[in-house]
Amino acid sequence: MKKLLFALLSLTLFTTGCMDKMNIEDVSLSLLIGIDLDENNNLIFSTSSPVFSQEAKIKEEVYISPAITMRESREEDDKTFMALTVGGKVQAILVGKRVMQHKGWLKLLEPLLRDPKNSITGRIVMVDGNAYDVISYLPKDKPRLPLYLTKLIDTAHLRNICTKTTLQDLRRATYESGITANVTEIKKEKRLFVTGTALLGEEGEYKFSLAPTENKLLRILQHDTKGEFSFTFKNPNQPVGEIFPATAYSFSTSGISVKTKTDYVSDKFKFDINVQMRVVLTERLFKLDIRKEAKKLEQEIEQEMTKRMKKLIHKIQTAKIDPIGLGIYARAYEYEHWKPVKERWGETLAKADVKVSVKVIIAGMGISK
Amino acid sequence: MSKYAMNGITLMQYIILIHASQVGTGIFSLPRQLAETSGTDGWMTVLLAWIINCLAGWIMLLTLRKYPDFTLLDLLSHLFGKWLGKLLALPLIIYFASFGLVIMVNSMLYIKSWFLTKTPAYLVVLLFAIPSYLVVRNGLRVQARYIELVFYMTMWMPLFMLIPVGEGNTLFLLPFLKEGWLPVLQGLQKTVFAYAGFEILFIIYPFLQKKKYAIHGFLIGNTLTLLYYLFITIVCFIFYTPDGITTLNQPVLSLLKNIEFRFLERFDMIFLAIYLLVVSKAWIIYISCAVFSTAQIFKKQDHSIFSGIYFLFAVASVYVMNPTWNQSEEWTKLLSKAAFGVMYMFPVVLYIYVRGFEMLRRGKTG
Repeated sequence: MKKLLFALLSLTLFTTGCMDKMNIEDVSLSLLIGIDLDENNNLIFSTSSPVFSQEAKIKEEVYISPAITMRESREEDDKTFMALTVGGKVQAILVGKRVMQHKGWLKLLEPLLRDPKNSITGRIVMVDGNAYDVISYLPKDKPRLPLYLTKLIDTAHLRNICTKTTLQDLRRATYESGITANVTEIKKEKRLFVTGTALLGEEGEYKFSLAPTENKLLRILQHDTKGEFSFTFKNPNQPVGEIFPATAYSFSTSGISVKTKTDYVSDKFKFDINVQMRVVLTERLFKLDIRKEAKKLEQEIEQEMTKRMKKLIHKIQTAKIDPIGLGIYARAYEYEHWKPVKERWGETLAKADVKVSVKVIIAGMGISK
Repeated sequence: MSKYAMNGITLMQYIILIHASQVGTGIFSLPRQLAETSGTDGWMTVLLAWIINCLAGWIMLLTLRKYPDFTLLDLLSHLFGKWLGKLLALPLIIYFASFGLVIMVNSMLYIKSWFLTKTPAYLVVLLFAIPSYLVVRNGLRVQARYIELVFYMTMWMPLFMLIPVGEGNTLFLLPFLKEGWLPVLQGLQKTVFAYAGFEILFIIYPFLQKKKYAIHGFLIGNTLTLLYYLFITIVCFIFYTPDGITTLNQPVLSLLKNIEFRFLERFDMIFLAIYLLVVSKAWIIYISCAVFSTAQIFKKQDHSIFSGIYFLFAVASVYVMNPTWNQSEEWTKLLSKAAFGVMYMFPVVLYIYVRGFEMLRRGKTG
């Protein structure tokens, strides 16, 4: 018995370590991946990896190469990169606007979803322009680009200037027929800007962009009320200033509750979205006695908010998409009627009756009267 | 005093043994398989299957209660005579042995595809085999202690599944019974592999010290498994959209990929490595049932030689066959069919036979 055990244990001596050991020096971690189309509609992939070397002056390796697929582009990278490219730490995937305008571009991300070694928490970003322009950008006053870019998106997301969509979120949204995806949109001029949110169609094609203010409204309609919501409105009932915007006021929300009711009346889906907001004034450039006239201001905010939301919903319905996810409500509560229109939900929603009502309560006016 | 009292197990160990033998690798793909047939109503299937399993276990215990000191082989020899009994026990031993092997092969494939891609399959199985051998060669009491310890050590694991739930949407579960009861019932066959395990009752029952709590213990163990599966299935259904979950091979592992801490990415790797302990419980029980019964056939007290042979055979067969995912899925399907027979049909047939056998005897003597 002891002998057998001994023999077995001695076998373990030969199995020390694993076969696919890889030293960190031999690995080039792709932190950013860019996908573009050139004028002749050929795919161009770009990668940015950190360089682990004290002697290197620039700590970033960037390579732009044409390739058929993302996996093939990895080989292109390996031809020039010091170490072997791996995708396990992808922080962001930048997709050029020209790529996103085509249906089915999502297929290009296949290798990231299939190989279990790749991470799926990378952010998906649409670049208004070329993705490789962003990737080869080396700002002097910022930390290395992958860190800077992810931080930029994450903090902008906290203020709801843009959405933050990870690869996993995108995957879920594309496989779900009751919602269409939306991704962060950035732009590079002299420096990087987060410009808002890009809304995608049912097959991932780019439809239109939302400015930061509209993005906030979308997030409220999606019941996603985390983070900070700050609005600046103009009061139409106040005298206009000459130079300074005397009618402007700002507020942030201290609590939002959203309820969506679903109904099916006379061959049409009907959605009632009720938004309740508690707001705190953060800025007011005109005179108003809030103790007495709070109701008036509340009504004004309500009207303005409803107007803006209606406008947004109208835009969405015209584009025949559903970034709000009303389809999920339709399935959950009106399954019988939802099932036949599942495949053409965008069109159905365009005909649906979507009502918004906003209720605002001014919870505080700050420390000045 | 019974000859198995030396190796007697407590009620707690008995409960955990039943639970541990059920929870193995089946859980990783269970939510997808359920969603394929039953949609998001799959969690009801888990509940229904639990009721059926409780009934099946109850029938098993009804038979075993009459022969409290008999293991499966003793029982079969008693009922059918020495030779026929051994012959009948053979398929069951093969069933237990191959179940243990398939669980090991499945775990090996997970390990290989998630982090040791280039390590040869047989080496991974060898690394499983050595510690398992050290546990299996001992008596049931030692195994029960190992399994109890691992159970307490890994109780925290399901809690991590709660982290991604916040991003999910409970509306995905609505409406209940989307397409009526039929898909829910059709999903039942998918749960067989996940729920298989309580047939070890045939072997471990004589070791239980307090036999009057056998049925209670079985129900608690089975319910523990139900809660585990129900929890995982609902978490997966809430997180993944109803249309998206069927596109993932192992939704549970993919779910873990989303867990990220500020200081730690790719938590799924760590989770899977620790989860091996949980899976090891399942294969250890099956293998020990197989080698224990084999030793009984050869009238040997000590089954360590047979366990040695078993593990050598396991490593060798993996070396020779080098199983692929598709093969392993085929085997799993085949075993599910076998498990269906062993778990649901065999106990009923045995029970009816035992009743008849007794009536006949009473008639003879009376």
